Amino acid sequence: MKNAQGAAIAMNRRNAIKQLGILAGGLSFIPYACSLSPEKVYTNLPTLKKEQQDLIGWLSNNLLPEDVAQFPTPESRQDFVLTMVNDCMESEKIKAFLEGFEAFQTRLAATTSSTLTTLSVEAQKALLIQAYEDQSLSKSLINPLKQYSLLHFESSENYMKNYLDFEFMPGRYLGSVPLVQDLL
Amino acid sequence: MKSNTFDTIVVGAGMSGGWAAKEFSEQGFKTLLLERGPHVEHIKDYPTTNWQPWEFKHRGRLTTKDKEENPIASRCYAFREDAKHFFVKDNAHPYGQVKPFDWIRGYQVGGKSIMWARQVQRWSSFDFEGPARDGYAVDWPIRYKDLAEWYTYVERFVGVSGNKDGLDILPDGDFLKPWETNAVEDYFSKEMKKHYADRHVIYGRCAHLTESKPQFIEQGRGLCMSRQICQRGCPLGGYFNVNSTLIPWALKTGNLTLRPHAVVHSVLYDEDQQKAVGVRVIDAQTKEQTDYFAKVVFVTAATLNTNLILLNSKSKRFPNGLGNDNGLMGKYIAFHNYRATINAQYEGFPNLTTEGAKPTSHYVPRFRNVYRQETDFLRGYAAGFGASRQRLTQREGYGDSLKEQLLQTKESGIWNVNSHMMGETLPKAFNQVHLDPEIVDQWGIPQLNIDVDYDDNDEKMIQDFFEQFSEMYTKAGFVNIVTRDNKRRPGNDIHEMGGVRMGTDPETSLLNRWNQLHHCKNVFVTDGACMTSTSTQNPSLTFMALSARAANYAIAEMKKGNL
Repeated sequence: MKNAQGAAIAMNRRNAIKQLGILAGGLSFIPYACSLSPEKVYTNLPTLKKEQQDLIGWLSNNLLPEDVAQFPTPESRQDFVLTMVNDCMESEKIKAFLEGFEAFQTRLAATTSSTLTTLSVEAQKALLIQAYEDQSLSKSLINPLKQYSLLHFESSENYMKNYLDFEFMPGRYLGSVPLVQDLL
Repeated sequence: MKSNTFDTIVVGAGMSGGWAAKEFSEQGFKTLLLERGPHVEHIKDYPTTNWQPWEFKHRGRLTTKDKEENPIASRCYAFREDAKHFFVKDNAHPYGQVKPFDWIRGYQVGGKSIMWARQVQRWSSFDFEGPARDGYAVDWPIRYKDLAEWYTYVERFVGVSGNKDGLDILPDGDFLKPWETNAVEDYFSKEMKKHYADRHVIYGRCAHLTESKPQFIEQGRGLCMSRQICQRGCPLGGYFNVNSTLIPWALKTGNLTLRPHAVVHSVLYDEDQQKAVGVRVIDAQTKEQTDYFAKVVFVTAATLNTNLILLNSKSKRFPNGLGNDNGLMGKYIAFHNYRATINAQYEGFPNLTTEGAKPTSHYVPRFRNVYRQETDFLRGYAAGFGASRQRLTQREGYGDSLKEQLLQTKESGIWNVNSHMMGETLPKAFNQVHLDPEIVDQWGIPQLNIDVDYDDNDEKMIQDFFEQFSEMYTKAGFVNIVTRDNKRRPGNDIHEMGGVRMGTDPETSLLNRWNQLHHCKNVFVTDGACMTSTSTQNPSLTFMALSARAANYAIAEMKKGNL
């Protein structure tokens, strides 16, 4: 008989797997394998190789898929999250973030193919679930990437205007209007 | 020499100085307006004013570097990615903190009026009579009736949106129409009327244009479009700042000379003439020293810098600072206590919400110790009140399912309500500023050391706010009530006042009823430094009214040959 905590963990795991089920085929695999652009320098971070930057981009995109067609932004997801980590994260949190990233890379290296490019889709999914469910990795690496990914997505012009009803110059305030609890 | 001589000199191009400069220029007096920071020309120098949220590299957030380099300024609510360029950087202008004090400054033409909170309430008779009634601090040399017409004069030019509420504790002004109130604001107001005879929840009066009038058209200003990003500067002139109103108004008279990058070192006193003859200026960029001369000097450099300049204006006659015979200059600094907040939720009006935006919320005028002393602390507090609904967005999980959640839900949560206390602090001699005997800044001006703190009266007031507002919220049926002492440091309210206080007796005050130094009548102080007590209201409107009144008095006296 499972206790409440055990049941919750099992449920979270099921949800996570289910989410990855929805995700199947949508994982943006191996973006760096064919990228020719040089690595970008982020001054507060130790030199990250192009592959490493792309791996962070891959994680961010799988935590919340970027949608450049429907929700364009001035910069790519990868550049945005790395910029935010570099510019806005306190040094202690950057340290933890890099340690988490190192741990993730170690896990990746321990897989049968050791690089994301040659890892099977199933193995990539498993790697992501493992990272998401690992409390330590989640706190230091996954959560910050998810929060910055959310910020990037939710501040896109389309999302702000059409989903958050943002108006740059509303010019009015109506104090009592009927609430429409609609689904888009 | 001739090119350096004017009828009047005004030190500081913020709200107080802006008003003095306007009055003098408009009435034909050649006026020099000195500002230590750069020029900020309306529209042209608002670099971020039309940026969309997604255009900011950090989406409005501060970088770690911003915070590390500006631990003081970054604690101000408006010091964010979109407006940080209007704030003084900590390392550019250091000051001494005997006790922790956040000195938030805006060194530029327009001063802090560019990024102020725009709340404008008149003082009442109770406020001016406060010190005389409870005997704490000196009596004000003026009463509400002395300032009433000047409030009206300023309001008509500035543009104030408000309701005629008919309250003796918060006199009505010359108002433009208000924005709509929402269901919970209305509800709370009515509930408080039911339960209390003396607790009013009213529309927060704010310096925004909701109606067009000839004077606003002449100023070139348009209606407020509720953009909610006023701190960047408004290209429409929808809210009042000095840059869109007073400065261009004064410049078009041809009588104003605006001199940015002019750090005022001191006021020059002539021992033979026994009066001030001008000011000494250090160019902020070249460090070149220049003396300027005039019959009348208005020192309106913002509260603490006004104290600094006058304390640094030493002469044989005034070895301790200009007009400082009684040694009280720099003492009795007070501010507003913003430490207490209360939040809750309301489950009523589930089918109503709001649309659009407005640049103000509601206001609860002071109700404690107004008609009689009823608590174990002196004076009282006002409070803000806001109510809104937030969209509920599920952010669980990750991947496509997370994205789907973000796209699918358009559900609103229940109403959130909140209030924050705006408490009067008592002016005390030990809350003071003084010049450092050794440290000088890059312009050779002594560093200002600030020694200001809360006291037991403030702590008691915070507890009373928690108790009274918890009771009020409970009576209104609000739930999930949470009180919080945010431990905000003195100064973070940006309402520091005093140090060169007004009064009737030269033994206990520095300025007379016309804001003239008792002992040097051609020097006037009309910014926050002149304040004898602080009351609870946001003070800018009172600074502006005092400035306009004093400037017109000075004009009349100059015309009579008395100055």
